[in-house]
Amino acid sequence: MSVVLTARDLTRHYEVSRGLFKPHAVVRALNGVSFELEAGKTLAVVGESGCGKSTLARALTLIEEPSSGSLKIAGQEVTGATKEQRKQLRKDVQMVFQSPYASLNPRQKIGDQLGEPLLINTKLSAAERREKVQAMMKQVGLRPEHYQRYPHMFSGGQRQRIALARAMMLQPKVLVADEPTSALDVSIQAQVLNLFMDLQQEFNTAYVFISHNLSVVRHVADTVLVMYLGRPAEMGPKEDIYARPLHPYTQALLSATPTIHPDPLKPKIKIIGELPNPLNPPSGCAFHKRCPYATERCVNEEPALREVDNRQVACHYAEQFVA
Amino acid sequence: MSTPTPVVAVDQSLLYPSPYKEFWQAFAKNKGAVAGLLFMLLIVFCALFAPWVAPHDPSEQYRDFLLTPPVWLEGGQWQFLLGTDELGRDLLSRLIQGSRLSLLIGLSSVVMSLIPGIFMGLIAGFFPKILGPTIMRLMDIMLALPSLLLAVAIVAILGPGLINTVIAIAIVSLPSYVRLTRAAVMGELNRDYVTAARLAGATLPRLMFVTVLPNCMAPLIVQATLSFSSAILDAAALGFLGLGVQPPTPEWGTMLASARDYIERAWWVVSLPGLTILLSVLAINLMGDGLRDALDPKLKNAA
Amino acid sequence: MSLLEIKNLNVRFGDAKATPVVDGLDLSVDKGEVLAIVGESGSGKSVTMMALMGLIDSPGIVTADSLVFDGKDMLKLTSRQRRQVVGKDLAMVFQDPMTALNPSYTVGFQIEEVLRAHLGMSGKAARQRALELLEKVEIPGAAQRLDAYPHQLSGGMSQRVAIAMAIAGEPKLLIADEPTTALDVTIQAQIMDLLLALQKEQNMGLVLITHDLAVVAETAQRVCVMYAGQAVEVGQVPGLFDVPAHPYSEALLAAIPEHSMGAARLATLPGIVPGRYDRPVGCLLSPRCPYVQEKCHQQRPALDPKAHSLARCFYPLNQEVA
Repeated sequence: MSVVLTARDLTRHYEVSRGLFKPHAVVRALNGVSFELEAGKTLAVVGESGCGKSTLARALTLIEEPSSGSLKIAGQEVTGATKEQRKQLRKDVQMVFQSPYASLNPRQKIGDQLGEPLLINTKLSAAERREKVQAMMKQVGLRPEHYQRYPHMFSGGQRQRIALARAMMLQPKVLVADEPTSALDVSIQAQVLNLFMDLQQEFNTAYVFISHNLSVVRHVADTVLVMYLGRPAEMGPKEDIYARPLHPYTQALLSATPTIHPDPLKPKIKIIGELPNPLNPPSGCAFHKRCPYATERCVNEEPALREVDNRQVACHYAEQFVA
Repeated sequence: MSTPTPVVAVDQSLLYPSPYKEFWQAFAKNKGAVAGLLFMLLIVFCALFAPWVAPHDPSEQYRDFLLTPPVWLEGGQWQFLLGTDELGRDLLSRLIQGSRLSLLIGLSSVVMSLIPGIFMGLIAGFFPKILGPTIMRLMDIMLALPSLLLAVAIVAILGPGLINTVIAIAIVSLPSYVRLTRAAVMGELNRDYVTAARLAGATLPRLMFVTVLPNCMAPLIVQATLSFSSAILDAAALGFLGLGVQPPTPEWGTMLASARDYIERAWWVVSLPGLTILLSVLAINLMGDGLRDALDPKLKNAA
Repeated sequence: MSLLEIKNLNVRFGDAKATPVVDGLDLSVDKGEVLAIVGESGSGKSVTMMALMGLIDSPGIVTADSLVFDGKDMLKLTSRQRRQVVGKDLAMVFQDPMTALNPSYTVGFQIEEVLRAHLGMSGKAARQRALELLEKVEIPGAAQRLDAYPHQLSGGMSQRVAIAMAIAGEPKLLIADEPTTALDVTIQAQIMDLLLALQKEQNMGLVLITHDLAVVAETAQRVCVMYAGQAVEVGQVPGLFDVPAHPYSEALLAAIPEHSMGAARLATLPGIVPGRYDRPVGCLLSPRCPYVQEKCHQQRPALDPKAHSLARCFYPLNQEVA
């Protein structure tokens, strides 16, 4: 299986002005994320607000340049790419957004919106473009008549299908999906997730699937990356992470996720406090203020990401949970 | 009824009326807007077919019928439905002829300020670091001066006349278009569909004109309609001051000016042009309100 | 005697021929009970509670055979009387905490406003009580937070403030409309625990409106499943999740990713919820139901007691299961 996406120590800092007289504050939105993604596989990025997943999405889709670290898409390094290379990179990575209501242009017919990537990036004639658009529309479950319609005439689920179709028009190697089903009802979510999986099989696209919904992630992911305050907390194969979460934050997330058949015997991990302010991150391990197992070492020393039990964990005491 | 219902429910999107029909239905609900529209259509008709609609030649002076009252007053003539002015010219014909000028002034000043206004607003919105603030400060300076004074100053520099009136009015209405466009552009730039267009590789011109601009049109169309009416008022004011259109060209404002002295003796020479201005502006404003409500419900306050 | 009794509630926007948004709904809540109302977009779940609170403005028309809360007929109250009930005995917490609070006033002011209006408190006493309420909803640093503005608070904090405002009047019934949907997972868990703790402590009735079945499974005692404006099944938790009687309940459960473990595809119903233009003559689920029969297309079933729950179906499922 070929690797289509490689990230090494991806970092993104923002400078935030704090008024005329104070120096700029630095927000470390993304702080050293590394992974490899193969074609046809799905990496799920899990975390809560402020964990850096949106920043990661913007870096992966080339909307923003990383402050440091390397990003390779289909073997092409992003930083220092020439204009020609950038054009190719554009075609290789696309994105689906969270809100079905904001991601389509209200004043453009959807047929035109679907054809736009082809118009910009290929030299196909209008008739050829239309043919491709119709084919893709059929694949996502839209009818030919829909070509002429405007986005507001469609339901949320249908709009996400259109958004997905638009992202796949150029058959990108990597698709970044930023909470694509969070705004949808459960039964519509199921339809759209099925469509995602079908398209992945058809085009062998690699997915970076960002979500805070752990049950959806369990269904779609091959590898799971749990992030906290811009840093990876735990990363590994899905089954291992769900069966034996080693990082206390992962454990807390899984415990906090409600389930249909709650097990009264399984103790709920009560997590206190709120997510820390990214402008003022805690010292040492970012999670130590809320971690039930925190020690002196956690306050002072930032844990490195290391290999434990078939995955990467950033916790000093990860071994104690392996049993 | 034993016809089996299809397994897949009827597609909602196909039952939606087309955007034009939807717009017309929303517009037609507003009775004032429709009335305004009808009145404007009347004015447009008069303007287009003035030579055939007007009963007399607007510049022909009937020396025997100076200051004739309108037909419903004592001393009125059927020949001159709305009476004559101090030089014996038929008022109705002059008003009809004047509609041409008013519409011309309104249309051309709107076009002359809308196009550069949209351009500048787009640039200000897309380049918010340096270019944007520069353009906006320029507009702020223009807005700081009272619009009529500014128009008077421009006409004083360029000289009176029709074209210069139009230029003056266009310059004066420019800032509002720039501000509106910029505000709308800045609002849209954050939306996901713009990011999606960028991701598809859209170049800057395409982003500006194909992706973002169509979504900013609603407030602009409404503003254009309203500045149409203020253009008529401004032209009338300039004409009243003797700076705009020069006599004998019949323009509603100039007609008002030259009839100033006859308010007591022959009120109709002043009131009727004034009334026409009032009705036209009212009609356009009602239409503008209706357009705004129909195009973008969010612009309306409350429900 | 139930705390809340709703019989045949209808809400439509427009004239009598307009499509009803809530169609013949029957519901009851007892004192100290947690009822969950589950449904997707277009099910009418939020509109039901808004109708109860009297928050439906024209062109909405609300009719019901009976809409009785704590012995009072809500339909017959004057606005004055309604204002005395709503916010005091009957309170609501909304979905988006960031917009539920007035951005121009401090947190303390907003809580005191409730105390002033409903309990007649003022001055120091009100401020003291507001502080106590903030501590009750477990806001750290409550004394400083009293003078904070909503934009200075995070989502979780804002929702706690909203809950404090809701319980300030010591309500008998608290309605929570998707209270945790806009929040992160760990904060969700905290807020739900808080709501349940408060509910137990004050023996309030709690109506939880949500689309998340998992949240229902962990918190509610009874659940009402709504579809296209009607209640299609009402039953006990966890009973309804183990043996759903109505095909829509079954479909909702099947669509949850949890339940399709291993399978590549999630089970789904084809089509979408009927909208304005295509409301079926017969059962509202008939265009999409996998078990549909001829009768379903022609008649509307009533909500009747079945083996384990009330269900609106001619051919309910899981009836044989003991």
